[in-house]
Amino acid sequence: MSKEYRTFREAIDALIKWTVERLERTPFAAFKFTFPKQYISPFGYLGTLTAIVFLILGVSGAILMFYYTPSIDTAFASVREIQESVPFGFVMRQIHYHASNFMVLLAVFHLYYQYFSGRYKIKNEVLWVTGIILGILTVLEAYTGYNLILNQRAMLAINIGMGLTFSAPVLGPSIAPILMGGGYFDLIVRFYALHVFIIPLLLLLLLTVHIPRALIIDMPMILGVIGAIFVTAGMFPAELGLRFDPTKGSVEVPEWYLTSIYAFLRTGSERFWAGALLPLLFAIFFLIVPFVDKSKKLSWRDRPFFAAMGIASILMIIVTTVWGFYVDFSKLTVFEQLYVEPVIYYSSFGIITLISFFFTYRYLTKPRGRPTPAKPLVLSPRAGTAGVVITLLLVVAFSWLAVLTYLENMPNISMFNMGMSMIMLGLMLHIYRHTASAAAKT
Amino acid sequence: MSVQTKRRNVLRALLSVAVLAVLAPFSGLARYFYRESASQSQRQKIANVNDLKPGSYVFFSYPRTGDPKIDGDPFRQYILLMTRDGKIRAYSRVCVHLWCLPTYASDRGLLVCPCHGSIYREEDGVAIAGPASLQPYPYNALPMVKLEIDGNGDIYAVGIDGRIGLGREWRNRSPDENVVRV
Repeated sequence: MSKEYRTFREAIDALIKWTVERLERTPFAAFKFTFPKQYISPFGYLGTLTAIVFLILGVSGAILMFYYTPSIDTAFASVREIQESVPFGFVMRQIHYHASNFMVLLAVFHLYYQYFSGRYKIKNEVLWVTGIILGILTVLEAYTGYNLILNQRAMLAINIGMGLTFSAPVLGPSIAPILMGGGYFDLIVRFYALHVFIIPLLLLLLLTVHIPRALIIDMPMILGVIGAIFVTAGMFPAELGLRFDPTKGSVEVPEWYLTSIYAFLRTGSERFWAGALLPLLFAIFFLIVPFVDKSKKLSWRDRPFFAAMGIASILMIIVTTVWGFYVDFSKLTVFEQLYVEPVIYYSSFGIITLISFFFTYRYLTKPRGRPTPAKPLVLSPRAGTAGVVITLLLVVAFSWLAVLTYLENMPNISMFNMGMSMIMLGLMLHIYRHTASAAAKT
Repeated sequence: MSVQTKRRNVLRALLSVAVLAVLAPFSGLARYFYRESASQSQRQKIANVNDLKPGSYVFFSYPRTGDPKIDGDPFRQYILLMTRDGKIRAYSRVCVHLWCLPTYASDRGLLVCPCHGSIYREEDGVAIAGPASLQPYPYNALPMVKLEIDGNGDIYAVGIDGRIGLGREWRNRSPDENVVRV
């Protein structure tokens, strides 16, 4: 006989209990989901945020597949159709584009937070190494994605990427024709297969090894990140660019996560050596770091050598990325405009390394006295005033930037509004849980 | 070594040989990933010598399939030209720097890339200025089309010397080797 429930709430609770008990037979039971009751620093769960952005990319990308055609004749036209005539096609494309930028950015932040807090130790080597491979695959996924548009910028990236693959020793000449096929008409289909199936599948498979069993799901922060994607899309919408035409030259700069490699290539050094081997040193450094840094110390202040290496690598990423964007329009020919002086460029690395080591050893790793005991958590009325003031100032500065962009004909005010309302919802959720936990204490 | 261990080792070796024998035929599947029809050469008529005069040129796609999408591919674009001193040459149109399509400046006897200004000689397709000329040998010359000219003066493309978009080994070889009169 069916049981009778007095209230609707009781029935719902019973349903949830029934479902959870049955889910315990599935791999879901292995995960421990935590929904924090108060604000915690997002640095600890940047990986979860990256994975959520990856899910958004999967959904928006699958929807874009309804209209996109991977053919050398129609690829650009189909992206233009999505951008200009399909209802909400613009929104879908902007979400997909800006989410890809966020995913790369969040992955980099995730890498450096884990690096400086020494998380690659304490039996986390497998998590760490799969994480580095996931990062490389993420960039490859983004690279194959923005090449599918077949505009001038995409072709520049394809040319450079294929040239690098060709010039790789031993394997290069046999791998490059696999990507290239019989010409551009094959290449676009193969890049499409890589972008929508092969690389995402590899990412998902590696994720099953990389994902920790304890997961923090912080709804306000997740809403904040999704809102931020919309807001950026509203303020800086991705454009179509010029249709690919091999008889016209144009000065194009690749996406920001590849401009560093572009700067290397522009020095005119040997192609493979500059464009692949030196950036590969970066990846190799991070891959072997857990097997070199065997000390038991976790904090970066106790590991000055690795702290300095980390700071130097961040500075190098910033310098090479900015340099990749730099184009000297005072020069006459395109080649001269894009030329990077190799002596200055490569010596800047030495200077950066010296500066990082000097400042790290001189200032950042002073021997600390006895650790101060943790302060008891008492919320005085004035606690956090400075934080509130700084936040308000940031809000004012951001609104000012937004108003300025709006005055310059903000192209997509609706996406900006959608993003802002999502951030507001996140903020309200945070205030709700904060007051709820405060009320529970009293 | 006891008899049992020996026997076990022999069985293990037999098993490995069996696994290898089963897997070996699959290695040929790697060919699936290369579009072999793209690199196959065919004999294809391009033009007649009598229609050309010094400084004139013809664009053509090779190997021609009849499918406009494939024939229009930049990697199948070639130029047949007669140099100012009357030699017949055919080059890939894909610049070995960044794959733009150079054009023929017949008055100066040079192939000029519109994108970054690489300049190639008409007589052997070797880059003499611009970024392509800075690339190391053999990545600084345009691939050539092997030509045959028959008794009627008909010019046929029969194959490719070099790798499209990459370069051609041109030292110690005359570009005339790629133009055969039959």
